[in-house]
Amino acid sequence: MDIIGTILWPIKWVIELLLVSFHSMWSALGLSPDDGITWVLSIVGLVLVVRAALIPIFVRQIKSQRKMLEVAPQLKKIQDKYKGKRDQFSREAMSRETMELYRRTGTNPLSSCLPLLIQMPIFFGLFSVLNGAQHDSKGVGLLSVELADSFANSELFGAPLKSTFIGEFNLFTAGQPFNGLVMTIAATMVILMTASQFYTQLQIMAKNMSPEAKNSPMFRQQRILLYILPLVFAFSGVAFPLGVMFYWLTSNIWTMVQQFLVIRNMPTPGSEAAKAREARLARKGKLVLEAQTADAAVPEVAPKRPAQRQQPISKNRAKKTGSK
Amino acid sequence: MTALRTLLLLPRNVVVVLLRLYRAVISPLYGDVCRYYPSCSRYGLEAVQEHGVVVGGALTAARICRCHPWAAGGVDDVPLRKVRRYRTTNFGFVVPAPTALTPAHRKA
Repeated sequence: MDIIGTILWPIKWVIELLLVSFHSMWSALGLSPDDGITWVLSIVGLVLVVRAALIPIFVRQIKSQRKMLEVAPQLKKIQDKYKGKRDQFSREAMSRETMELYRRTGTNPLSSCLPLLIQMPIFFGLFSVLNGAQHDSKGVGLLSVELADSFANSELFGAPLKSTFIGEFNLFTAGQPFNGLVMTIAATMVILMTASQFYTQLQIMAKNMSPEAKNSPMFRQQRILLYILPLVFAFSGVAFPLGVMFYWLTSNIWTMVQQFLVIRNMPTPGSEAAKAREARLARKGKLVLEAQTADAAVPEVAPKRPAQRQQPISKNRAKKTGSK
Repeated sequence: MTALRTLLLLPRNVVVVLLRLYRAVISPLYGDVCRYYPSCSRYGLEAVQEHGVVVGGALTAARICRCHPWAAGGVDDVPLRKVRRYRTTNFGFVVPAPTALTPAHRKA
């Protein structure tokens, strides 16, 4: 077996376990085992399990984002040092100092590359499970030939889950009988996926970025790509089997909701969402202290603040020592 | 001689193009996620430029394994070779340098 196949083997095995378990659960609940909706719901179940397993990583990220409020004065100092310097070298030096600050204080707000890398093999694993099922071949684990066959040929609104937009399109251009429903469903899903991705990115950019981040050349580049990427999505989306697209779509929707909740409840300090949250809390009359420390931008005042505000510091210290 | 050296540099320049493509098209999909500076993909690019596809690839794999949610992060640069025979163009292609560079000439 090739290297990639060996790496994917355990992932495929787990995917099949989850898929088959969900499939028998839905079948036991009275859905027809060979129906498309049963398999689609199994895929949705798979997404929910995978994304729920990634929640601890996400929570960790949010926790360090909260802790970031403590280092806000130091962060502000670095940002002031490089204020107005737009050249590449200053920006790099600033990133270096910022990262070093995160490391020193243990407040790294970034999620790391691992969650992405975990998801990629799952996606490709599902792709190869579906692709294998298309040729009626059995999976590496619990997915028997019968189940693979049932999965691949199950139809949702008359469209088999194994079919691709491009496959039907080729039949159409060749003048052979084709399934127009596959193309309709695939196109709808591409639009939904693009819309959800677009919305997720847009709400991060429009609401959850500090003014400093918005002024960086990186942001401008990202903004241009925001409008190009949906096209990339649409083009790559037509090549995937419908079953894989359901995984992608469900996952995108999860990300969108998760991002919405986080931006609403734990926004990046200094961003528009943070101001909106403060305004909301102030209206309700329960503005918490930490929201104010985020605004404590003046470096001269910053060192004095911790001495004045005993409560948040002792709380956070208690949290810090408690977690170790 | 120069032609031979350019030929030897071909694999890493092919990978440089692939990594530039990845960084232009796929990286922005996720925004900033890396806990290190430079980011994992930038590290990969620099490692391949500095050490070639095999060693650079191994360095990058090690780096990606270091980039998990429990890592502290921080600055983590590619180790430089003692004698640097190449320079990089603005795009990132590796070409033979007129004279060997010492580590003091570290590119930014």
